[in-house]
Amino acid sequence: MLEFSGIPRPERLIDENGRRIDGRRPDELRPIKMEVGVLDKSDGSAYIEFGGTKVIAAVFGPREAHPRHLALPDRAILNCRYHMTSFSVEERKPLGMTRREIELSKVIREALETVTFLEEFPRAAIDVYVEVIQADGGTRTAGLTAASLALADAGIPMADLIAATAVGKVDGHLVLDLCDLEDKYGEADMPVAMAPRFNSIVMLQLNGRMAIDEFRRALALAQKGINEIYKLQREVLKRKFSELSPEEV
Amino acid sequence: MPVYFSEHEIVVPGQLLSDNGKRSGEGTYAYGGRIYAARIGFASVREDKVVVTPFKAAYKPAPGDWVVGIVSDVKPNGFEVDLGRHLKGIIRIPDREEVISTGLKVGDVIYVRIKESGLGGVVIDKRSRVRRIESGLLIQIHPAKIPRLIGRRGSMINLIKRFTGCEIIVGKNGFIVINGPSPEAEFAAVKAVKMIEEEAHTSGLTERVEKLLKELLGGG
Repeated sequence: MLEFSGIPRPERLIDENGRRIDGRRPDELRPIKMEVGVLDKSDGSAYIEFGGTKVIAAVFGPREAHPRHLALPDRAILNCRYHMTSFSVEERKPLGMTRREIELSKVIREALETVTFLEEFPRAAIDVYVEVIQADGGTRTAGLTAASLALADAGIPMADLIAATAVGKVDGHLVLDLCDLEDKYGEADMPVAMAPRFNSIVMLQLNGRMAIDEFRRALALAQKGINEIYKLQREVLKRKFSELSPEEV
Repeated sequence: MPVYFSEHEIVVPGQLLSDNGKRSGEGTYAYGGRIYAARIGFASVREDKVVVTPFKAAYKPAPGDWVVGIVSDVKPNGFEVDLGRHLKGIIRIPDREEVISTGLKVGDVIYVRIKESGLGGVVIDKRSRVRRIESGLLIQIHPAKIPRLIGRRGSMINLIKRFTGCEIIVGKNGFIVINGPSPEAEFAAVKAVKMIEEEAHTSGLTERVEKLLKELLGGG
């Protein structure tokens, strides 16, 4: 078995009681913390914690598209940057965008494009920045969840929020919301993002192998986690504005 | 019309609001014959339509809106006007001589009406005279707060005008020009406007604005 730098592979990832390396049940999410509107200088922002994974997302726009020739006459362009801070991983990540970060930026952008009404802002651009403060597995899903909250906070019209989590196979068991160790030493890792209102999948990737039957069960498990996250997202958004009263607007 | 929200409930994007897809208004969208919220805001039924009044929203130009803009470019066939954020308006003048005769320069602040907004860009109506604003304080607030600044039938804006004696030109795009008899009066008006922007959705705002103006201007 391949060993990565940092923590060596634990002997077992799931113990005899069916508990995982961090004590969770296979279908349990990590403790989640969400906050909306954490930054003052951006139009919308959100902070999310899934266990040790900490992500901040900020949205600017709609603003003028630059360079000008990229602007579209009938809709806005969505720019997305997923970036991991140098201190987010065990061994310092060099500055700049790696191949992986460029790919994830694209994947997150394409998922967000499915729910935002970009045709509301012709010739404009909307910027989404996802910054990973600390990485402990599932950063793209946390980033996407945070980005959709930040977009909603910025007042960009959207069809639905996006909630995302990963499922995977670890020591032959299907587990929800993988942490870093499970991701590295498990057999499969499958991040899933959905627009839960319409039950539509907006992102799905799979690393590793799963049987067809396992895949179906994994997807159902992801959906269960996503619905929990979605509920929290709506609560946190409503709470932020709950002290406001609708007087003579 | 049966709805799935209580009046002025805070709704979030994707929330189901009604089964009658034909009654979809601002801040909502219809899908599969049902209405869903597209923004965070207060849901309500207005003129038989389900609408969401957003807390934050970029200005969307509509024909007939009066806006304040800054001339950003002079071209042979007209002007380009900065309307704040991502918006650029254009004034089309077919004749070059006429362009020069308007006397508008880059940097001029103008008060204009929007003629149309669509694939052709934001076109400014030049028949209802383009008004050049000679002096005043130009400030910018969030466009979503403009209705609150104006108030019911202009009550809020008239309150500020009455107390400070300033002339206030409000553009629906969030640009505001304040022109007053003294710097003190102008600054007081700016403070009141900023206060309304910050506390737009809280109750008892009119009284607080009145109190602030009285404090700043010494009894009003």
